[in-house]
Amino acid sequence: MTTVSTWRWPTPDGRPPLPLLAGMTVLLAMLWLTAPVVEVDFVRLAGSFGKMIDFAAQMFVAPDWAYVPQLLAKMLETIEMTLLGTAIAIVISLPMGILAARNATPHVAVYRVTRDLLSLMRALPELVWALVFVSAVGLGPLPGVMALAFVTVGFMGKFFAESIEVVDNKAVEGVRAHGAGWLQVRLFAMLPQALPDFVGTVMYILDHNLRAAAILGLVGAGGIGYDLVMSMRLFQYERLLLIALAIYLVVTVLDRASDRLRSRIIHGKVL
Amino acid sequence: MKLVDTTPSAVPAATLPPKPRNPLPIWVAATLAILWLIIIDLDISFEVLAYGVADMGEYFSRYGQPDFSDLSRYLALMGVTLATALWGTTLALVVAFFLAPLAARNFAPNPIAYRLARETLNFMRAMPDLLLALIFVSALGLGPLPGALALGVHTAGFLGKFFAESLERIDNGVCEGVASTGANFPQMVMYAGWPSILREALGYVLYILDRNVRMASVLGLVGAGGIGLALHDTLRLFEYGQSAALILVILATILIIDYASAWLRRRLG
Repeated sequence: MTTVSTWRWPTPDGRPPLPLLAGMTVLLAMLWLTAPVVEVDFVRLAGSFGKMIDFAAQMFVAPDWAYVPQLLAKMLETIEMTLLGTAIAIVISLPMGILAARNATPHVAVYRVTRDLLSLMRALPELVWALVFVSAVGLGPLPGVMALAFVTVGFMGKFFAESIEVVDNKAVEGVRAHGAGWLQVRLFAMLPQALPDFVGTVMYILDHNLRAAAILGLVGAGGIGYDLVMSMRLFQYERLLLIALAIYLVVTVLDRASDRLRSRIIHGKVL
Repeated sequence: MKLVDTTPSAVPAATLPPKPRNPLPIWVAATLAILWLIIIDLDISFEVLAYGVADMGEYFSRYGQPDFSDLSRYLALMGVTLATALWGTTLALVVAFFLAPLAARNFAPNPIAYRLARETLNFMRAMPDLLLALIFVSALGLGPLPGALALGVHTAGFLGKFFAESLERIDNGVCEGVASTGANFPQMVMYAGWPSILREALGYVLYILDRNVRMASVLGLVGAGGIGLALHDTLRLFEYGQSAALILVILATILIIDYASAWLRRRLG
């Protein structure tokens, strides 16, 4: 057997499938066209490796231990913002999700309007809304929580609606056959079936919101982000190191926890 | 004569198992208590919020007249943002393409490579893209390129994890079939791995592209080019008309991409 034949494509004629080839060509063409716009410059990139290593070397300084109490307070604030924003969003998303689910909505028009509203809410990133809310209610964690809750409703409402849409219709018919009203059908037939999905969604959103909350401080909306940017601007690498580590730790712990919980839910051990 | 026996069964009620306790009120109370503590700790006063809501109506009315006089510049900036997202996504795709098979339990050639790839992906995911952008900006200078790099590194972590999870879900028969021909690691990945998850993988890439467009529009805040910088500047200068126009441009672009990717995903699915 020649080496050529061992690497033929798993298609009848041994050539790459046409859609893949076309897709790759279009992608390469677009990359080539947009390269000047993004100022891709491999010489500059290669030349910056030295600087990058310098930067990384500067990160390895003795950490500023005196900063730790403030760091912990700021990290706590970040986590609290995440929890509060997510909790508010859950309360708003549940009714929105019911309205935006094809099989639970009271009317098709309501379904359409809610869907569009949700996609508008999640269109812009948290940071843009944080900018707007900071201008509206002033600095501090409040605009951060508002921005988080606002964007999260857009995502969570959509995810909730999608998990309501795939519930088994038999239970719904069964509950309806008992003479259950509109709200009772939704509360006792649809939501219980969608609950495991909901928990998975909430874990995913918590994860996402923690990352977002960690950078909201950039625009003055509370959390660790402000310290992060300031220590970057003032070249306080002894603080930057600690902040980066703290963010990494918290995100990783939540990531692992949500992974574990999600796999337990998928295997039916919770709820 | 009764058709159905409706008399209580002979088994006395006392032997029935007790009604399961409903822990819901406890959970709700605990959650509310924690949220209350958080609200106190964050110093959020509802008075401020109430006044804020009144002020906010007035505040948002200032965005009433979008000023589209500079539209061509905004569109050019949006183009830069889109290009940044495209480059970032491509970089992520390339990195994930090589890392994901190593991070999938059923494909990894040895446990050390598996752990190493997993940890690398975790690390990439854990670093916020704005922090990465800050680092790359200070190393490379201002411009869209550091933004594209930051997006690429951060989302490579996500894409790699998604790909690895899809690879792990591949039916074992497919892997065994290819392995029984004596395929080595790259051949396993190319013939058993990617072809089995092509559709799923395309869906993930679309999702990441979507996400990167959103993020690219704020990366300008840290000097990584694109439309975010313009938005930041106009908000700082209280040019509400121009800010409104910029927000509308971003919103329209993201909605168009949203619909396009939903359409594509429907066709793929």
